[in-house]
Amino acid sequence: MTFEPKIVGFLCNWCSYTGADLAGTSRIHYAPNVRIIRVMCSARIDPTFVLKALHDGADGVLICGCHPGDCHYSEGNYKMMRRYPLLKSLLADYGIEDERVRLEWVSASEGQRFADIVNDMTERVRALGPSPVKAALEADLAER
Amino acid sequence: MEDLKIGVFICNCGTNIAKVVDCDAIVDSVERLPYVTVARTYKYMCSDPGQDMIQADIEEHGLDRVVVAACSPRMHEPTFRKTLQKAGLNPYFLEMANIREQCSWVHDDPVAATEKAAALTAAAVLRVAHHEALERRSVDMCPNTLIMGGGIAGMSAALDLADAGNRVYLAERSDHLGGNVARADLTAPYLDSARDMLTERVTRVVEHPNIDVLLESQVRKVDGFVGNFQTTIRGKADDGAPTDSVYDVGSIIVCTGYKEFDASRITHYGYGKLPNVVTSFELEKMLRAGRVTTKEGRVPQYVAIIHCVGSRNLEFHAYCSRVCCMTALKYAHEVKSAVPGAYVSDIYIDMHAFGKGMEDFYRRSSEIKTLFLMYEKNDYPVIRKADATDDCDMLIEVNETLSGETIEMPADLVVLMVGMEAREDSEEVAHLVNISRDKDGWFIESHPKLDPVATTTDGVYIAGACQAPKDIPDSVAQARAAAARILARTARGKIEIDAVFAEVDEEKCSGCRMCNELCPYVAIEFDPEKRRSHVISALCKACGACVAACPSGAITARHFTDKQIFSEIEGVLA
Repeated sequence: MTFEPKIVGFLCNWCSYTGADLAGTSRIHYAPNVRIIRVMCSARIDPTFVLKALHDGADGVLICGCHPGDCHYSEGNYKMMRRYPLLKSLLADYGIEDERVRLEWVSASEGQRFADIVNDMTERVRALGPSPVKAALEADLAER
Repeated sequence: MEDLKIGVFICNCGTNIAKVVDCDAIVDSVERLPYVTVARTYKYMCSDPGQDMIQADIEEHGLDRVVVAACSPRMHEPTFRKTLQKAGLNPYFLEMANIREQCSWVHDDPVAATEKAAALTAAAVLRVAHHEALERRSVDMCPNTLIMGGGIAGMSAALDLADAGNRVYLAERSDHLGGNVARADLTAPYLDSARDMLTERVTRVVEHPNIDVLLESQVRKVDGFVGNFQTTIRGKADDGAPTDSVYDVGSIIVCTGYKEFDASRITHYGYGKLPNVVTSFELEKMLRAGRVTTKEGRVPQYVAIIHCVGSRNLEFHAYCSRVCCMTALKYAHEVKSAVPGAYVSDIYIDMHAFGKGMEDFYRRSSEIKTLFLMYEKNDYPVIRKADATDDCDMLIEVNETLSGETIEMPADLVVLMVGMEAREDSEEVAHLVNISRDKDGWFIESHPKLDPVATTTDGVYIAGACQAPKDIPDSVAQARAAAARILARTARGKIEIDAVFAEVDEEKCSGCRMCNELCPYVAIEFDPEKRRSHVISALCKACGACVAACPSGAITARHFTDKQIFSEIEGVLA
């Protein structure tokens, strides 16, 4: 059986969640691997959400916000943008592959783009295989 | 949380969800989750019987939390919140799982789709257990309205609002009212005068005691929220110097219209090089002046009209501009009346004669001996200068689809039916009032079918051709619908706003003031006495930027708390 990655998607309400809804109303089919959690703005996404998702068994985390300059709250996505490199360097220190966590801008009119991102990310994470985090946690627990 | 009772209601949405997702299987999987007391499926959960069922279950089983797995919460969250309210539950005790737009409509494998739908529903169940009762805030609704754009849409909305006794500020960038309609001569299909129609509107608007017409004015800044916007408008003082004034309004209607496609972008047609290739608006100008001539002042014997200039074409705009086909037919009538004996040909892709009276108009236009030539999309007709021996100025080569032949049409005047496009300032306007634009630059409505007037920003409405190409009747209808929406709210005097906003726990706040700088709405104040920050809830728009940034974890986003989101993560991964 092929490995089916589980990916958690954090989407901002105004652009990206609406864009994902548009993919639906336009019947654009894409991989079923991303489970979406809605937040009001990408700036609400606390790095601990991403860590929590990886801890709980996600093989990947997708963060989507409005395009720079288009944020419903004027500049929330810039806050996410600045937080993101810090989060990525932390994840790299833990040995979590770069492609498991991804930040993308998806506007309310980009249903197709959302579908393309999900498909692409699913394939990349599938190629990486299961996340090492869960296995490491289990091994750690077993040692104790 | 020991005594929680959660009801889970899974909608089939006819076959929209049920044809891909096995809804009964979701019932089985959620029944195993903690606190789930009842789980059911129904054909249409949003229907009256569906809502009645939820209400009855709340009452019968004493449910205190409800999950509805159905369409997007952007569609029916307000509906189901009301259902809870009717049953005496706090409306925020609802959580929706989006198993239609983000599941059944985008996946075709029933097993994977069902598994995902079950995970999304489980996440909603785990999340809803942490929901708190929230009270919506009631604030005063300012009855004034700002209308951006003094075209036919802006004026029509202004009159309805003003007639109801409300103050309207009608801000127009140019030095006159009327917008693009002021550039037209007659209108299709009844050939009535655009000028007469506008004169009636302009006169009433200008004379109306409740309408302030602000010409040569630009909206510079919009602060506040629905019911309570502060708008800064730059106009001209008596001495001509720019001056900013602040107007308090409760609602805003954006009616900024469109601009015409720049015909010189299609080099094939030689617009700007061949003197007698003109745009539809240039012909309107001649018609309004009552003199249709070539650049050289001759009366044209052959007039050719090319449709879809910039529209229905992948290189420029894929969409149809909606008004050009019938406007082109109108030219056949007008040209023939201005130049008796003229030959008029219409070179078109498809004749779009939608709407009332238009098909009859098409028939009448054929009866006055207009020649119709059909061309293939993207196979542009080619215009060239005629030879000295020809009795015309230009020749148009058309690969005519219906006959399958290449036809050469004589022309002394070529009219390009330029399409509509979003104005250059649409991006600026979108930012100003915080609304979205689609890929073509048109403003996006709240719902394409059920709410074509509102936007994602509460209190901001759109009307007319700034939303999409539109004719006069549709622009006026949308404008008056926007006015009606606003009047429904101003009539009540108060407005309920979302209970979702951020709160600072003063016990945990260290007074670092990091959040003060982060807030885009200046909604966080620092109390120098207590050395603590606090949120002014009326100004907070609940983005949550401060919540994620607070180093002390002292800020809570109501309805988007860490606990709620963490349990949702657990749910989708369970």
